[in-house]
Amino acid sequence: MAEREAVRKRNKRKSDSYFDYSLLFVVLFLLVFGFIMIYSASSYNAFQDYGDPAYYMKKQLLAALIGLVLMVVVSKIPYHFFERFALAGFIFSLLLIPVVKTPLGVNSHGATRWIKIPGIGLNLQPAEIAKLCMILFLAVLVSKLGRNVDTFKGFAIMVCAPLLHCAFIYLFTKNLSSAIIVFGISFLMLFVASSSYKVFFALGGGGIAAVTALVLYIVNKVGTDGGFRSERIIVWLNPESQAQDKGFQTLQALYAIGSGGTWGKGLGQSMQKLSFLPESQNDMIFSIICEELGLFGGICVISMFIMLLWRMLVIANNAPDLYGAMLVVGVMGHIAIQAVLNIAVVTNTIPNTGISLPFISYGGSSVMFLLIEIGLVMSVSRGIRLADTQ
Amino acid sequence: MGEYNKIGNRKKMLVAGLLFTLMFLVLLVRLCIMCINNEHYSQMADDLHERERKIKAPRGKILDRNGVVLADNKTVCTISVIHNQIEDPEKVIEVLSRELDLSEETVRKRVEKYSSMERVKSNVEKTIGDKIRNMDLAGVKVDEDYKRTYPYGSLASKVLGFTGGDNQGIIGLEVVYDKVLQGTPGLILTMTDAKGIELEDRGERRQEPIAGLNLVTSLDVNIQTYATQLAMQAMAAKEAERVSVLVMNPQNGEIYACVNVPEFDLNDPYRLSESEGAEGLTEKEKQDALNRMWRNGCINDTYEPGSTFKMITAAAGLEEGVITKDSPYYCSGYTVVDDRVIHCHKRTGHGSQDFVHCMMNSCNPALINVGLKLGVDTYYSYFEKFGLLQKTGIDLPGEATTIMHKKENMGNVELATVAFGQSFQITPIQLLTTASSLINGGRRVTPHFAVKTVDNDGNTKEEYEYPEQAGILSEETGALMREILEMVVSEGSGKNGKVEGYRVGGKTATSQTLPRSSGRYIASFVGFAPADDPQVIAMAIIHDPKGVYYGGTIAAPVIRQLYENILPYLLK
Repeated sequence: MAEREAVRKRNKRKSDSYFDYSLLFVVLFLLVFGFIMIYSASSYNAFQDYGDPAYYMKKQLLAALIGLVLMVVVSKIPYHFFERFALAGFIFSLLLIPVVKTPLGVNSHGATRWIKIPGIGLNLQPAEIAKLCMILFLAVLVSKLGRNVDTFKGFAIMVCAPLLHCAFIYLFTKNLSSAIIVFGISFLMLFVASSSYKVFFALGGGGIAAVTALVLYIVNKVGTDGGFRSERIIVWLNPESQAQDKGFQTLQALYAIGSGGTWGKGLGQSMQKLSFLPESQNDMIFSIICEELGLFGGICVISMFIMLLWRMLVIANNAPDLYGAMLVVGVMGHIAIQAVLNIAVVTNTIPNTGISLPFISYGGSSVMFLLIEIGLVMSVSRGIRLADTQ
Repeated sequence: MGEYNKIGNRKKMLVAGLLFTLMFLVLLVRLCIMCINNEHYSQMADDLHERERKIKAPRGKILDRNGVVLADNKTVCTISVIHNQIEDPEKVIEVLSRELDLSEETVRKRVEKYSSMERVKSNVEKTIGDKIRNMDLAGVKVDEDYKRTYPYGSLASKVLGFTGGDNQGIIGLEVVYDKVLQGTPGLILTMTDAKGIELEDRGERRQEPIAGLNLVTSLDVNIQTYATQLAMQAMAAKEAERVSVLVMNPQNGEIYACVNVPEFDLNDPYRLSESEGAEGLTEKEKQDALNRMWRNGCINDTYEPGSTFKMITAAAGLEEGVITKDSPYYCSGYTVVDDRVIHCHKRTGHGSQDFVHCMMNSCNPALINVGLKLGVDTYYSYFEKFGLLQKTGIDLPGEATTIMHKKENMGNVELATVAFGQSFQITPIQLLTTASSLINGGRRVTPHFAVKTVDNDGNTKEEYEYPEQAGILSEETGALMREILEMVVSEGSGKNGKVEGYRVGGKTATSQTLPRSSGRYIASFVGFAPADDPQVIAMAIIHDPKGVYYGGTIAAPVIRQLYENILPYLLK
C-alpha cells in the first residue's frame, strides 16, 4: 500500500509540472557537441589570429551560458505572459533592423548584420530577434483569428504579416537567407493554423515550378551577365568550374566531406579547418564534422535534429491551447528549416547561402535566441497535464 | 481541451514534421552517397593538403667494358633558409657566410627575404653540410643531393657528356641514356595548411627513390687513355688543330675508344679553354664556343675522306667484276675525264702496275678508271648498298649525314673524284663502319657504346641489341680486300702502320680541306688487325697538321703505336 501511495505521489508530482527531459538532453547534447566542434574547427585559425585557440569557443560559451539562463527564466514563466508583448515585439524587432545602418551597426565578414550592445561586448543580430518576435506575434495572431484563419481576409493577414520584416532584413542587412527563414517560419505556421491543404499544395507546387523554371532559365543563359544570384546557381551546379573563385567555399566543403569518408579522420584531425575552408566554425561546421567524424558523425547530428523535431512535435500536439501549439510549431520550424538548409548548402544540394547550423555553428546571437525559443517550448510543455496524454 | 480545431492542427503538425523528417532523410541519403563515393573529392583534398618534396634518385653510373667507373655520383649538400623559422638571424648569417665562404650581404639578403624557402648555396661539400647541420640552427635546412663526378676528368668527354643542374643529361651518352640513368625520384609528402606551412605533427609519407641503372659501355679505359695520349702527342708534334682516334671492333660495332682532342673537363664543362679566348665574349658567342668545344668530331662533323675511300671503290669494282686483283693499269701521272685532267698525287706517274699495286701506291687514275668502268648508276648503287647514304645509327646525339652528289647531278667528273674520295663528305664513324663491313665478311654493323644496363648488385637488366645488315659484300671480295689492304700496310703507302708480330691491314689518306687554296690538309689512316681475321679496326685523323701532312707519314704511326700497345692486350 505504501508503495502504491508513493507511485501515485510521484505521478501526482509529475503531473503537476511536466518537464521534457529528452528535449533538454538533445539541446544540451547539441550545444556541448557544438563547443567541441567549434573548438576543433576554429582553434588553428583562432590561435593564428588572436593567439588563443579557444577564442571562438569561449565567446560561444559565454553566449550559450547567457542563453541557458534566459532559457530557464523563460521556461519558468507561463507562456501566456508573453502574449501581451507580441505586437510590441513585432514592431520593435522591425524597427531594430534598420539600426544596423547607424553607427551602432557592426561590420563583419563583409556584411553589416550586427548591432553592438554597449557594455556587454556581445553583438546582436536583429534578424535573430525578428525570428523570435515573428513566432510570438504569429502565434498570438493565429489564436486571436481562430477559425477566421480560413477566411480570405485572415489568410491574407497571415501571409502579409512577415513580409515587412523579410523586406527589411533583405534590404538593410543584405541577408537573403534570414529573410527566407523568417518567411519559411511564417509559412509553416500558416500551414498548421489553416485547415486547408489545397492552397498549400498549389502554393508549394507553384513554388517548385517557379524555382525549377528559374534554374533552367539561368542555366540556359550562361555566359551573359546573370548577376550575383544567378552566378551562385551556376556554381552550385558545377562547383569545380569556379574552384578558385565563387565555388571555392562549396568545393572546400565537398573536399572536407569527401576526405572524411565513413568513419572520419578522427576528432581534431581535420585538414580543411587549417585555413582551407572559410567559415569552418560557422556556416560550414557540418562539413568539418563530416571530415573528422565521417558519415557516422553526420548521421548522428541529423538524428539529433530529427529527435528534437519529434520532441517538439509531441509538445505541440499536447499543448494546452492553439497559442501554445503555434509557438512550438514556430520554434520547430525555425530550427528545422535552418538545419535542413544548412546541411543542404554544405552538401551542395542547394546553392550556397549563409545559414548557420542551429546550436552547433559559432554565432552568439543565434544560439542565445534559439535557447530563448527552447525556453518558450519548455514553458509550453509545463502547461501539459499528464492526465491528458495518458 | 482547448477551443481550437485540435484534430486538424494536429494532423497539419504531423504532416509538417514528416515533411521535415523526409528532408532530413533525403540529405542523409545524399550524405551517404557523398561519403561512400568520396574518391574524387578526397583525392583532390589530398592533393591540396600534401606538399611534395622530391628526393633525387642517385643517377646510374657509366662504366667501361671492365666495370671501371667513368661517371659517378658524390653526395653534396644544398643549404637553404626558411624565413619564418629562423630564431637568431644574426647568428645564421654569421655562420653561413663563414662556412659557405659567401659575403655577409649575400647571405643577409637570402635570410631576410620573406619566402617559404630560400636557397643559399648548392653543391656544398658533404663535410661542410654535415658541420652546418650539426650546429642545429633553427630555420637552416641542409638537404643532401647528388652531383655527377667524372673520375677521369676529360677522358672521353665528348662521348660521355655531362649533366645539368637537375641531373639531366646535356650531351653525349648522358643525354641518350638519360631515361635509364635517371631512375625514379622519390617523394616526401608532407601536410601543409592553407598558407603552405608544413605541419610537423601530421607525419609524412615517403616514397623511396629508385636508383638509376648503371650503363656498361664498350669503352675500354686503357685503350681510351692510350689513344688520347697518342692523339695529344700527334697534335702537339704536328701543331694540329685537332686529332681524332676511333677504335672499334669491326665484328660487332663495339667502340673501344673515341678520342677527340682537345677534350674538355667533364667536371667543369662550362669553362672554355684558353685557346677559345674565354674573355670578352657575348653570351651567344660563349654558348657557340662551348658548343664547338663539346662537339664530337668523329660523329658530328663530316670531312672529305680522301684515299681511305679507295677501299670502297676497290670493293665495288672487285665485287662487280670490272677488275680483278691482277688487272693491269698504266699510270702516266694523270688521266683525262671528259674535258678534265686529273693528276695522280705522284705527278711522274706510277707506271705499269696490277690492281694490288694500284692500291698499295694509292694511285688516283687507277681508281678513277675503276669508277668509270662501274659507271654512275652501278657506282651509286654500291654507295647506297654499303649504307653510305644512311646514318650509322651510333648511340650518340647529332650524327651528321653524308653530303653526296645527287645521282642525277653526277657526271663522269664527279664520279671520278668520288672514286678517290673527294668532292663529298662523310663522318669518320661512317668511314670506319663501312670499312668494317668490307673486311668482316660483308656485315654492316651498328657502331655503339652502350652494351647493357646493370643494377647496383651487378645484375644485368637489359642487354642492348643493334641492327646488323648482312650481305653487303661477298665473302670472296672481303677476303680479297683484306689481302690487298694487308699488302698496303706491309709493302705499300701504309707501311708506317706496320706492327711487329701482327698482321695489319689498312689504308692511308691525305685530303685537302676546302677551299683547296687554303693549304690545309687532313691526314688519316685506317688500320685493322689481324689482317686475316680482323678483331679491331682503328682510325686516326689529324686536322690541319703543320709541316709534313701525309697520312702515311703522320697518321699511320699513331695507329701503329696504339696497336703496339693494345694488340697484345686485345688479341691475347
